[in-house]
Amino acid sequence: MGSAKNAWKIHRLTTILLIPLIIYLFLRIIHFSGEPYELILEELRSLWSILFILIFTVLGLIHMRIGVNEILEDYIHDEPAKKIINFLISSFFILILIFVCLSMWLILIF
Amino acid sequence: MVQFNLPDNSKLTDGDYYKLEAKNKSIKKFKIYRWSPEDDKNPRMDTYEVDIDDCGPMVLDAVMKIKNEVDTSLTFRRSCREGICGSCAMNIDGTNTLACTKAIADVKGDIRIYPLPHMPVIKDLVTNLKNLYKQLKSIKPWLIKQKQEATDTENIQSRNDREKLDGLYECILCACCSTSCPSYWWNSDKYLGPAVLLQSYRWLQDSRDEERKERLKELDDTFKVYRCHTIMNCTQACPKGLNPAKAIAGIKQMIAQQ
Repeated sequence: MGSAKNAWKIHRLTTILLIPLIIYLFLRIIHFSGEPYELILEELRSLWSILFILIFTVLGLIHMRIGVNEILEDYIHDEPAKKIINFLISSFFILILIFVCLSMWLILIF
Repeated sequence: MVQFNLPDNSKLTDGDYYKLEAKNKSIKKFKIYRWSPEDDKNPRMDTYEVDIDDCGPMVLDAVMKIKNEVDTSLTFRRSCREGICGSCAMNIDGTNTLACTKAIADVKGDIRIYPLPHMPVIKDLVTNLKNLYKQLKSIKPWLIKQKQEATDTENIQSRNDREKLDGLYECILCACCSTSCPSYWWNSDKYLGPAVLLQSYRWLQDSRDEERKERLKELDDTFKVYRCHTIMNCTQACPKGLNPAKAIAGIKQMIAQQ
């Protein structure tokens, strides 16, 4: 049972940062709805879009990871089970990050 | 894992019905949780009819009337009967509150009375609060001075500093807040709960105390404070109108600023 101060701070910070990013994401989706496929691909290839997607993904995953950990601490009292579930969840989040990076790379090269 | 269902020996059964013979229109039914460690029976809900025209206005008056006139085996704690001691804390009409300050007229229909939730029951409406008192002791709820001579003189406090204790010192430790908190239900062995954290904040806010840094260091733990998810049941349940959730938020802020 170590210090929980940093996790608490990061959770709040990512919450605050994600609010404008989610609003911006929705506005972009509305803006591009109905536009041709090529135009959307072109937009996704821009440096700003790549940066936005990466920042959004990393912040979102950190936020979710801390949130899920809170749920685990609340409801799973068996320490070995908690460790296994923690490992599986971390692996899942890393896979999501790899999938997003791979998608970005494919958009860039094709 | 957290246990979501009641064990078989804790499941409630229908109990005895104590009918009032007098034909009176002001009859109110009190359904009260009963359990005794002296037999192996499951807990039951006994029903008592009470003539509320011949009874005091509060739920505690009715419960005492039942004990005095109908069933002397009914067990509950009570002392001051004016919302100061916190002894008669119980779950009335689905809310943790003090039986002495809860008016019978405020409850529509039958009045259901249970012991404080998720606490080990000693008998009927009496719960075991040992864990809560142990947790209270762990936060050192007393003034700590570094130098011995400082305890020999009067500890002066400005009006502004004294005002910081308003809304905190009034806590009577009835445990209504802690036992209404789901986080405390799941992790009462490690999470301190709203009642103890409100007390902790009371000492953290005291300008005369010289142990603030150590107190905060002790609280900076995954379980002691951070199991609070701002559910706010504590604030809603507090019969004294205090705000333990705000106190916990204050503790988190103080830890973050440290």
